[in-house]
Amino acid sequence: MSSASQDTRLESQGPVLSGPDPVSTVRVDAPAKSDWNNPRLARNLFLWPALIVVLILAIFPLIASLVLALSKVSLVKGGFKIDFVGLTNFRTLFLGSERTHVLGQAGTPTLFGWLVFLGGTALLLVAFVRTVRSRKIRPLGLIGRAVGGLLLVLLLWSVATTVLGSGGRPGTLMVTIVYAFSGTLLTYLLGLGLAVLTTQRLRGQRFFRIVFLVPLMITPVGVAYMFRMLTDTEKGPITPLWRAAGLSDFTLLGDPWGARLAVIISDVWQWTPFMFIVLLAALEGRDLETEEAATVDGASKARIFLNITMPALIPVSATVILIRLIEAFKIIDLPNVLTNGGPGTATESLTLQSFISWRGFDLGSSAAIAYTLLVVVTMVGIGYATFIIRRTHSMV
Amino acid sequence: MAIGRRRWLGVLPALALVVGATGVAAQSPSTGEYDGVTVNVVTFSGPPIAEPLERYAVEFEAATGATINITKYPFSDLYSKALADVATGTNSFQLMTLAAPWVADFASAGYAADLTDKIANDPEIAWDDIMPFFRDIVAQYAGKVVGVPIDGDFTMTYYRTDILGADGVAPPKTWDEYLQIAEKYDGKDLNGDGVPDYGSCISKARSGVGTWLFNGVLSSFVQTMGTGQGTFFGDDMTPLINNEAMGAALDFWKTSMEFGPPDENNLDQQGGRDMFTSGRCALAIDWGDTGVLAIDPATSKVIDKVGAVQMPGSTNVLDRATGKLVPCDATICPNAIDGVNHAPFAAFGGWSAVVNAAADEKTQAAAYDFAAYVSNPTRSNIDVTHGVTGMNPYRLSQFGDNMANWVAAGFSEAAASSYLGAMKDSLDNPNMAVDLRILQSNNYTNVAEDQAISQFLAGELTKEEAMQQLFDKWQELTDSIGREVQAAAYAASLGVQR
Amino acid sequence: MKNPLRKRTALDLSPPAKVAGYASLIVWAIIVLFPIYWLVITSLKLPIQVAAGPFYIPGIDFTPTFDNWHYILVDRFSDTVRPFANTIIVALCSSTLALILGSSGAYALVRFHYRPRIGVIAIWIVVILGTFVAVALGAPWPLAVVAAIAVLLILLQTVGKRFKRTLANSDVSFWLISQRMMPPVAVVIPIYVLFQTIGMLDTLPALIVTYTAANLAIVVWLMRDYFLSIPLDLEESASVDGASSFRTFRSIILPISRPGLVATWILVLVFSWNEYLLALFLSSANAQTMPVMVAAQNSTRGPEWWYMSVLILLMIIPVIILAVVLERFIASGALRGAVKG
Repeated sequence: MSSASQDTRLESQGPVLSGPDPVSTVRVDAPAKSDWNNPRLARNLFLWPALIVVLILAIFPLIASLVLALSKVSLVKGGFKIDFVGLTNFRTLFLGSERTHVLGQAGTPTLFGWLVFLGGTALLLVAFVRTVRSRKIRPLGLIGRAVGGLLLVLLLWSVATTVLGSGGRPGTLMVTIVYAFSGTLLTYLLGLGLAVLTTQRLRGQRFFRIVFLVPLMITPVGVAYMFRMLTDTEKGPITPLWRAAGLSDFTLLGDPWGARLAVIISDVWQWTPFMFIVLLAALEGRDLETEEAATVDGASKARIFLNITMPALIPVSATVILIRLIEAFKIIDLPNVLTNGGPGTATESLTLQSFISWRGFDLGSSAAIAYTLLVVVTMVGIGYATFIIRRTHSMV
Repeated sequence: MAIGRRRWLGVLPALALVVGATGVAAQSPSTGEYDGVTVNVVTFSGPPIAEPLERYAVEFEAATGATINITKYPFSDLYSKALADVATGTNSFQLMTLAAPWVADFASAGYAADLTDKIANDPEIAWDDIMPFFRDIVAQYAGKVVGVPIDGDFTMTYYRTDILGADGVAPPKTWDEYLQIAEKYDGKDLNGDGVPDYGSCISKARSGVGTWLFNGVLSSFVQTMGTGQGTFFGDDMTPLINNEAMGAALDFWKTSMEFGPPDENNLDQQGGRDMFTSGRCALAIDWGDTGVLAIDPATSKVIDKVGAVQMPGSTNVLDRATGKLVPCDATICPNAIDGVNHAPFAAFGGWSAVVNAAADEKTQAAAYDFAAYVSNPTRSNIDVTHGVTGMNPYRLSQFGDNMANWVAAGFSEAAASSYLGAMKDSLDNPNMAVDLRILQSNNYTNVAEDQAISQFLAGELTKEEAMQQLFDKWQELTDSIGREVQAAAYAASLGVQR
Repeated sequence: MKNPLRKRTALDLSPPAKVAGYASLIVWAIIVLFPIYWLVITSLKLPIQVAAGPFYIPGIDFTPTFDNWHYILVDRFSDTVRPFANTIIVALCSSTLALILGSSGAYALVRFHYRPRIGVIAIWIVVILGTFVAVALGAPWPLAVVAAIAVLLILLQTVGKRFKRTLANSDVSFWLISQRMMPPVAVVIPIYVLFQTIGMLDTLPALIVTYTAANLAIVVWLMRDYFLSIPLDLEESASVDGASSFRTFRSIILPISRPGLVATWILVLVFSWNEYLLALFLSSANAQTMPVMVAAQNSTRGPEWWYMSVLILLMIIPVIILAVVLERFIASGALRGAVKG
């Protein structure tokens, strides 16, 4: 679909009419005759209320947190005082006593780790060279891509030495990234599969749809406690199965990767309905004409899905993955309730680390960790928006 | 309107009756000295502490006309919520139940009202009946009374009298003996259900109570000269946690996991208690709650099978000059019992009802009166015998003549004697160790120490790394808060009376 | 009775595919339902039964009891009903508000071109920050707000016109979604202080406004995509007929987007229904919501699973009913054939 990748030079194009093309097209403002005699008013009235609400409640906390991240908060008689300490909090996190907590302990990469690192770096280099060659990029964009690429290489190295390294262990930063990406990927695949399944002509679809929505309806703290109950080795329902299998000393939550797995499983269980409901609405709202025609022509279901349904779903998918990815970075309830971030610090996410500092009233450190997360998520978001959103949405 | 005179005369007696009735009603107990006063109380979600508070609120309201609203927060959020409330000047709460270690933060910043005069003028609270140790640790700061004690806390070791008794094994006196006993019974079926059980169950979950229980082990290696010596810091607030004593305590902590449930490092407090009361453990370390929970027919399978002793000790203690462990002798262990140095640890200290200094006079008076009502011996002495209230003994009268109440609660005399005996032994021990009560104690113990221990248990850090990390973290904290300030607070917390 | 001569449509499955389809659906349904089943039976157990180990089937493994339900719904009725009512009010209001504001905004971002000038944005930010600083330094907040509006208008007319560099719709969209990137734990205390300054702590409107602001971005981003999939023909013909944008939006776009609107509304409702951290801080006694109550069951003695299960189930039931009712709106299939018709 070539229209999807066009740059949006809006003034030079007229409206492009196309029938059931789900990737929408461009439209030039054609003020209607009776937009309250002021087309501009209509435009502003649509958008500004939303912007103002967000603006007021967003700017202040953002700046206030930045101030806190650069200070030390202490209690004094009658209140608390905020001492500006510059980058001390950040220095402690990345260079000082919390370094291994946040960045992890580097071990030696295993063979697989080397493969991942070298392969990934090679791919990045190739992509970067292609971008330079294409000459379609401004200098700022080039610098941005270079910096982004460098960070990705560092990330790959971190993965190779901590997650895939022997003797290493990932810090909260890496653990958060693992949670976010694996959770989002798994929930998307499951949600898509379920949405497709429940739009087929099968019996009992209403029942299944309601049931599949249920996990999202449970308050996250509730989901966390529920899984805590399920994984409890004394009172949980699964323990007798382990015992019967001869693994009576088995403990999922007592092992670092076991605990992380428990967090991911619970997270996927809880958030699949999010993907499910969005994709279901998109599938239900689509025009079946093309698919009907293809069925009549004898195309297989797989062909139809890959060539007709999926492309129509790509814009929504891209958006919902972005939304979920951003949310997933903030995971806190599950690791907090399941293991309090343990064993050790194995399941701690960045938000949980921030929360633990905050509980001890170390507001400066807490805000610093939160800002680190903000920076990470912003970079991921910008990267994602640049490479994926722009390509899947013709406008905006 | 022209009502005939007769009619008026008829109305008058009726009017008089009504006025009289109202007058009588006005003098009934429901109108008291605190009519129209509202006291908002904040505590953590119970039933411990919250249940008795709610119960007494109803009585207090009826007796004095005050309105008592009790708001509950999850325990882990109580500290931040209460502190944010006073520090930002919101002051929605007039009475706060705070843990003894937190009192320093609230009192030093001036949020806790000075109750010294009120206490002096209140004979009903029976101030002298409260054990001096708890008066100081839970209620006082810098010489002033800043809270009303409603609970006292320290830890003990519990054991199965039936299991150990059958083999003639005496309860452990040292940590080595503890491990030996745990090893002996690990894997055996201790409650007759055919499933192998464990030698020792200790709640070591992260962000749980593990740090308090651990410090009870540490203290016996570190403190020998009496309460005034302290467990955590040496001269100039140098942390005493990077030495062989800490190492020995950490070794014990890790080794005991071999004789415990497989996920002991994720075992929370209730889980640990449940395991012991359903008979799955030979030994346990806990506050007084396990004792009262063990006699509860609704939850316990080990009624009358539980004994308690004061915390085991060590025959090797820390030489503070060298940082090494040296054998006990008369000089370095003057308080040793049979050559073993015990340092029962007043873990957590207790709960204190603190009055918000920003409230007006009348409300402060009402808040204090309510707290005193709860702490009053007539009520408190019964509360401490019931596990559900979460209140553990802190008054002399609760140890002495309270046997009738203990028996009424379900203790056999033998069990009560053992339980109270262990407590009394601990409280009478001149080497009793005080929990950390300096500014931001929470950060030192529940955040930094908890993390280091947890990482050590999980194998993320070696013993030496954990100790060094903790040492550095504590130095960092002390530096940022101010060494002199902390030294003064620390000295004040150690200057407790016996 | 199915007509065997009915033509196969795109949504029909061959028999083996049907079996596989049913099997997958049933498997996932079990995965979803088993933990909830566990919640239900835990709510019917006494503490000692919970502690004694896993029992699976009421009546056979253990005797169920309604004690816990009785305790929560009868003994603690007022303590339970108040947070429940609060949660309903806050969630309904904030999600509806977010949907209205957000879908209008999304429509605008999809159909209109905005070129907000950087100068204007900078002025807005400066003025808002200035207001907060003024209030922090002691100015009474109504005065500060009025002054801010005045300053804003003046600046916009003068300085704002001088900086021509503009942003595009995509930047506005991205800024909106970036609001979700900040972990709530970092903004809780500033927001707490903000509401405390204007005296709105422990009120329901404070929660409603905060949740609306927090969820707007999601509404905008989701509705953007649903709107993008609507072909332009309808709007073009409407505008030729002289309908205003509002009319078009209300009468044509919204009905067609019903599946998307309903889905988004449910999502935002659920987010507001389940939110914990901000509710913990912005409420004390009066505005307490259910998630805080659920978490409060985690006492020092440990999580009281039995009460917690009851509360969690109480929280799920209304939302499930809502989902049942609204599910048919998602399945409306209204767009099919709409263009050709």
